[in-house]
Amino acid sequence: MCRIGAIKSKKYLHPSIALKLMRSQQKGHDNSGFAFVMQDLGGIFGAHKDLPILSMSATVEGSRRAEDILHNLGFTRVLQWSPEINNQKGLKIEPMPTYVFEAFQYPKSHKYATKEEKEELLIDTALLLRRELEKDNSGFMFSFWPDVLTLKEIGSPKDIGTYFGLWEENEELCAKIITAQCRQNTNYDIVRYAAHPFFLEGYTVLANGENTFFEKNRDYQQSLYKGYIGFESDSQCFLYTLHYTNKILNWPVSYYKHTITPLSYEEIEQREDKDVLLRIKASLSHLEINGPNTILGVLPDGEMLCVCDSKKLRPVVIGQDEDTVIMTSEVNGINDIMQNRDVTKDIYPNEKETIIVTNDLTVERWQQ
Amino acid sequence: MATISINGLHLDDLPWIIDYDETKCIQCGKCTAVCSFGAINPVVEKRRKPASGIQKPSFDKILVIKQNVSFSHHCVGCGMCSRVCPNGAIKAVRNFNDRYSVRYRAAKGDSLKKGGRSNLNTEGRTLDKIKIGRISQMTDPSLDAARHKFELKTPFGRVLSADKLALHFENGKMELSKHLPPNRWIYPVIMGDMSIGAISWRMWEAMAIATAYLNEVMGIPVRMCTGEGGIPVRLLKSRYVKYMILQIASGHFGWNRIISAMPDMVEDPAGILIKIGQGAKPGDGGLLMASKVARYVQEIRGVPKADLLSPPTHQGLYSIEESVQKMFLSMNAAFNFRVPVAIKVAASVTSVSVYNNLLRDPYNIVGGFFLDGLAGGTGAAHEISLNHTGHPITSKLRDCYLAAVHQGRQGEIPLFAGGGLGQTGSFAADAFKLICLGANGVFMGRMLLETAGCVGNDTGKCNACNTGLCPAGLATQDVCLTKRLDIDVAAQNIVNYFIATDMELKKLMGPVGNSTLPIGRSDALITVDKHVSNRLDIQYVC
Amino acid sequence: MNKEVFKIKTLIDNNRMSTQELLQLITSKLEEGYTEFEIEACGQHNIGGSSWAKDRSKELVFKLKNPGQRVGAMALAGTTIYVEGSAPADVGWLNSGAKIVVNGDCGDTAAHCAAGGKIYVSGRVGTRSGALMKHDPKFELPELWVLKNTGSFSFEFMGGGIAVVCGYDCDDMSSVLGSRSCVGMVGGTIYVRGNVEDISDSVDIKELNEEDIIFLSSGMEKFLKNIKKDALYVELSKWENWKKIVPMPSDKKEKKMSVSDFRKNCWIENGIFGDFIKDDFVVYSLPATANGRIRIPKWDKTNCVDCKICLNNCPQNAITEEAKIYSTLEDKCIGCGICSAVCPKHCWNLISNRKEIS
Repeated sequence: MCRIGAIKSKKYLHPSIALKLMRSQQKGHDNSGFAFVMQDLGGIFGAHKDLPILSMSATVEGSRRAEDILHNLGFTRVLQWSPEINNQKGLKIEPMPTYVFEAFQYPKSHKYATKEEKEELLIDTALLLRRELEKDNSGFMFSFWPDVLTLKEIGSPKDIGTYFGLWEENEELCAKIITAQCRQNTNYDIVRYAAHPFFLEGYTVLANGENTFFEKNRDYQQSLYKGYIGFESDSQCFLYTLHYTNKILNWPVSYYKHTITPLSYEEIEQREDKDVLLRIKASLSHLEINGPNTILGVLPDGEMLCVCDSKKLRPVVIGQDEDTVIMTSEVNGINDIMQNRDVTKDIYPNEKETIIVTNDLTVERWQQ
Repeated sequence: MATISINGLHLDDLPWIIDYDETKCIQCGKCTAVCSFGAINPVVEKRRKPASGIQKPSFDKILVIKQNVSFSHHCVGCGMCSRVCPNGAIKAVRNFNDRYSVRYRAAKGDSLKKGGRSNLNTEGRTLDKIKIGRISQMTDPSLDAARHKFELKTPFGRVLSADKLALHFENGKMELSKHLPPNRWIYPVIMGDMSIGAISWRMWEAMAIATAYLNEVMGIPVRMCTGEGGIPVRLLKSRYVKYMILQIASGHFGWNRIISAMPDMVEDPAGILIKIGQGAKPGDGGLLMASKVARYVQEIRGVPKADLLSPPTHQGLYSIEESVQKMFLSMNAAFNFRVPVAIKVAASVTSVSVYNNLLRDPYNIVGGFFLDGLAGGTGAAHEISLNHTGHPITSKLRDCYLAAVHQGRQGEIPLFAGGGLGQTGSFAADAFKLICLGANGVFMGRMLLETAGCVGNDTGKCNACNTGLCPAGLATQDVCLTKRLDIDVAAQNIVNYFIATDMELKKLMGPVGNSTLPIGRSDALITVDKHVSNRLDIQYVC
Repeated sequence: MNKEVFKIKTLIDNNRMSTQELLQLITSKLEEGYTEFEIEACGQHNIGGSSWAKDRSKELVFKLKNPGQRVGAMALAGTTIYVEGSAPADVGWLNSGAKIVVNGDCGDTAAHCAAGGKIYVSGRVGTRSGALMKHDPKFELPELWVLKNTGSFSFEFMGGGIAVVCGYDCDDMSSVLGSRSCVGMVGGTIYVRGNVEDISDSVDIKELNEEDIIFLSSGMEKFLKNIKKDALYVELSKWENWKKIVPMPSDKKEKKMSVSDFRKNCWIENGIFGDFIKDDFVVYSLPATANGRIRIPKWDKTNCVDCKICLNNCPQNAITEEAKIYSTLEDKCIGCGICSAVCPKHCWNLISNRKEIS
């Protein structure tokens, strides 16, 4: 069982909060890794919200090559930040030689480019970087997108926190949205790319579960969009389906649930919008998931999302106070970091719900 | 005394020998009364008593049952005689020295015909080499087949990719903005595809009743295909026609009646199936021997009493493009583009090309692809076709599915597979495996006859569907034979078989943890056969 | 020893005590004779379960904050567990006699397989709660009391015991049991107040009887006292707002119409071939007589010598003779052909009776 968490706040938060959120949920994971994605950044990256940030871990050779590629494409580095490494003895971690978090100015050619053109450049560049680094296994490109910072590492979450100095709060590194997971995909080999959260073009997804329709999801997604690659974890499918329905098809996010866990034929027959729902059910039947899952996500505009599988086989709870909303697997994490909340406001989503946390922190509950 | 010639047909040439024990026989005559093939007769035999003393030898006369030796009246092993014998005095025994097929051809100068399935069984059954091996044990929970809710439904009709649905927004909701090809959700097992004429009116009606019952009483949305021999107008004009898939084959039999009835129909049919070929005898048209062309069959089909040979191809369709533009268009137009139109072809080396072509059809008027494998049954076929032509279903179905995956169009033209499913006992297992390999559903024909009382098997027992002498009243138009069939029991048996199959499909879906059909979930399958593993792209295990 | 309470914080700085360390510590303290524990937990599992006082005559008390999953799992009679705040999944899993009070919500599968004791919840319980609750007659009934509602799929496969779902503050819910609850329920009783929909079709929803009200009245008082909400008694004891759910007896389950009745009552009159064929739907048994015969014997008097061999050999006694005219009785003759076989003068010929329907 993975344990996952997503935090959205009106204030800038340091990633230590994610470590604390996951700490009490430890039985649910196995200390095999820690990964987080920070969005809506403050601190030192807060001044460059429009510029793409490269998040990468690599060998020295790998990071040099990545910089060459970006340089050749015309990107110029604006800001570089490296975590202060605390390599004390006995830490359970398998670190990479270098960690790169760099903001880049767009190439001159894209100075007057539209948003779409810039995004196209970023995804193509990200895919190129990943391909190049994969050739000789010299590094991992996690995200290359404005206002997003990603770290994924193998080892004990507590020790990873110590290694990167993440237990100590500081104002350099902070964000209003943090999503985190404390586990690698331990079903198979431990691979950094298999660690949640997954990120693609502003969409972040992390999940706790098993995608029993992985193979048919993957077979279908592979031909849908160039960015649907990797598939190191069966949960990447959830990200790609969210991206496909919301960004490529331009459907409202409420239709995500109708795609991954469509209502039964009998239920649809009772509805006014049955014509649309039956068509979606047929057309995207290969994107249905049928196993146990809780999916948390972040949309490009910063809204947060939570949906569960149709049998509600995985836990999730949402706690909130005035400044912050937390969605996570077990209530213990919220109990730890949000002790004074009103617990009667806690929300336990059901199998038919889509939960949306809007940018003013309203928690909306949509029944499918 | 009759002349015995070397070239004549002899008892020892026949495929079945009557094993008769006169010491047990009470001469009740039941066996000869029920033999629809006239293969046995009561006869009085003379038995010589040896002379004793000065008396001359004398003869006793004994009444015994004797087997006929003739091409027209010989035993097919159906077993009716032993079924009625009160003393177990008679049974048909397979003759391993059988030379019937040689003798028949040599004597008649004609090809041998039969019904049922191929009896060669040389290919082995790939489906039996596959097991469902990905069982949820820890990572995700199994479901309870008896108690959890499962959805066994599959789309029938052309499915458009999501980007072509042309949905538009209205107050945060999406709406359809154009006419889309018809698409219905049906049970993944389609029954029938056996024509009026090939089977008796009682059997055909039993299937139709079972279909209606399954839909309306059991809530199992099974569809039945009419076969190529038309459909009774009374059914056509009833509300039950919504469960029927109308077939059109090269003979186009019965379609004038369908067309004439259209203005009076109260419901659309479930679909239309254009039959191009049949798995049991690909490249061969339908064959209905004159013995089964009863008066009502003549009327529905518009033909006199004669052997009815449908052409191997639809006259006027000589290319895929023509098929799509002419046949699919006409059949779509027939019900004003409201009814899914599918095609049934025999599995063949070329099936993938056909499927690829149809997937690329820009008019989106192909609503289903039925692929029929060589182990399917037939009412009548030349033995040469039955035994020596055709293509197994499993790899061909898989090829078609993977071709669709390659195009990124899986599910757009639903795939249905058939041909010999359930042959070795478990229809549900065969169906489940084919669904995992990419089928949206399956179809069954011969299994229905077996559920309703067929006495034949795939190793030469009976297989006389072509003769019109079916001892079970299934494949005959003869009154005294057809009335052996209890229409209610036959329909109930079919219903029960579906209920059991439904239960068993769930019994397989539960352990893999799926509540909806695992279409294309080949990761659930394993095989101990390396070649099968390679060919189907499923996990090899040992 | 020792009335002393053992108190512990399990999170100091960033160091969290593991479940194993905590449970082993509790065991060693039990050995020392402690009977009361106050634990500030940090998600550690199984607290309060499978524990008993060294002196078996004494009762155990656990006061917990932020326990992890399976709080009170496999807990024994004589144990009382108070949870301040909400608890995650599996509260009281396999509870075998303890009283567990959760002053907050429970995650999924609360009271799963509970076979004894009482679980009191002042909030809601999650999906699949009460699943497989059971009752061994040698022990007291397990009870699950929930002030608010349950998640979907609750009480799946329930075999015994009592659950009480008060539906408090749930007026806007379409179902206080979620959807698809009680699937596979074969025993036990669920008392419920508030809307219920989409429930298994193999359970009955009934009105309360006097016995039910007696049980609920006394039980409700204790429940509310335990969760410190005594004031709600008046509102929750309007018994007309309550229903009870019990498994449906197997003989009550809907019987389907037979296919034969379907044909006679629902199907197209006279059959779909009715305009071609007058089928009486009679079924011939084997061997058949009359029209069901494949062959019919015909007697030809030309060579008859009135020897009566046919008449004497007919196994069905179907041949009659009157004034040297032989004939067969239609309802006896099966067309076996024995008359023809035995006739020395070949007077009996078998004519095919095969005919097509008309």
